[in-house]
Amino acid sequence: MRGYHDIGGNEAGPIPIVELPWLHWEKQVEAIRNLLGDGTRRIMSLDELRRGFESFGEEKYKQWSFYRRRIEAMVDVLIEKGVFTREEFEKEAELLRGRWTPPVDCE
Amino acid sequence: MKHRFDAGDRVVVLELNKAGHIRTPYYVRNHFGTILQRCGSYLNPERLAVGDVAGPVVPLYRVAFQFGELWKDYSGNPDDVLCIEIYEHWLRAANDPTAAQTN
Repeated sequence: MRGYHDIGGNEAGPIPIVELPWLHWEKQVEAIRNLLGDGTRRIMSLDELRRGFESFGEEKYKQWSFYRRRIEAMVDVLIEKGVFTREEFEKEAELLRGRWTPPVDCE
Repeated sequence: MKHRFDAGDRVVVLELNKAGHIRTPYYVRNHFGTILQRCGSYLNPERLAVGDVAGPVVPLYRVAFQFGELWKDYSGNPDDVLCIEIYEHWLRAANDPTAAQTN
């Protein structure tokens, strides 16, 4: 049995050595991940998060970036654990989207 | 938890056909390696991945594989090895006759 993410050891050609920018929202994703998994909260472990993006489907995994996978899997796991419902999440996201002005250099 | 293996032991990585989050990559399964060191015992990430933090802990090992064992067409230095941490339940002693499931 081989997960769609389990591609280590495959032929992949030369490795592009380029410094990628670490975007602000990506840091926020990691900050939230750390808060959810820390010793006092223990709401979601790193292994739970990994299980999330290793099982949410190959199509999503391949089309999304590293941090997009993480935030989407985080939402899935939090819904699965009953922290909030999909409806509550989407309602809140809609509310915040209305208040949000994208910065000029936002990618 | 008591360790079944020690440094220098020859082992085979099992194919446990498990779904969910597992930490043993496909490319080392059914291959022979050598235990380099014991790395302590930890909660099983396969159980943590489904929110089970009750334990027990599982011994973890650092295992070395010769590149030529993993990639048959490898033509570099024959001493090159890949080192990777593997949990005990994915390993079987190489001299164990029931382990004869290598490709």
